[in-house]
Amino acid sequence: MSTEACGTTPDDTGQGGDPRMTRIGEGEPGRAPSVTDPEHDPEDWVLALSIEGPDHQHALRRLHDLLLRAARHQVGRMDRLLDGAGPDVADELTHQAADEAMVALLAKLHTFKGRSRFTTWAYKFGILQAATAVRSQMWRRRQVVLDDSHVTVDLGPSVEEYAETADLARAVRRAIDEALTPHQRRIMLALLVDEVPIDVLAERLGTTRNALYKTLHDARVRVRADLTAAGYLRAGTGKGNDR
Amino acid sequence: MTEQRPRAITRKVLRSLTQDSEPWLSCDDCFELLDEYVERRLADPGDVDTAMATHLEACPACAEEADSLQALLTSNE
Repeated sequence: MSTEACGTTPDDTGQGGDPRMTRIGEGEPGRAPSVTDPEHDPEDWVLALSIEGPDHQHALRRLHDLLLRAARHQVGRMDRLLDGAGPDVADELTHQAADEAMVALLAKLHTFKGRSRFTTWAYKFGILQAATAVRSQMWRRRQVVLDDSHVTVDLGPSVEEYAETADLARAVRRAIDEALTPHQRRIMLALLVDEVPIDVLAERLGTTRNALYKTLHDARVRVRADLTAAGYLRAGTGKGNDR
Repeated sequence: MTEQRPRAITRKVLRSLTQDSEPWLSCDDCFELLDEYVERRLADPGDVDTAMATHLEACPACAEEADSLQALLTSNE
């Protein structure tokens, strides 16, 4: 068995389309015409956010409003996880997430291809940042211990299929012990048994959510291959092969 | 420092440990496709995207963000 402490961290409107809105891009080339109504979104968000001028500032303000809305929505969904931290903390997390989402979105503005409404595309940045911020806040005083020690089986009250499920659980426990690398085992147990959020674990380990999900995916593939070889899952790939 | 929970394979954990996460889709790919995916699902609840659906079953963080985006769009309608 080995453990590794990772420490703690310190403390639609769619594309617009409003007829009252001056159409950006119809004016002088390279220069957007001015916005007449501050309550309406740019018709061409990418252009308005890309070209300096009065519409640029207006678009930035409207974009920040969108991101604030998304961040507030997300923090509201997760506020039970903030453990009574109070409205000030939630408000601070919301504004911080909106600001960080703004930076992240503007860095990727060139990748917006119009396959969804711009507002939907923008919202996902606010949601991601806010969810990450809440999970980080929730775990800020909790230590993450990477531990590959043995796990027990606790399936709760006995039910009709108990014996079969207990048999599978023991086989899974064995597969985790025998089929995984130590790194895969620690990551899988931290994420799925200890329920450390993936972005919190990534932050503590100095890696990325993507890298950890790949490790988890590879571990699942190995566990499922082992269970298939042992007769607990049906052979074959794809969906619906669970016994 | 926080208390360490007992490490046990419960029914919920068992489902998660044995989750089929093929076909492969990364969290970054999921984020890239999320806006289109949610709009398609709202327009057509029967829309099937196996790679996205698999990833969202296998990754609770991405699933929360997808559910949240869908709820936000629905609340705006």
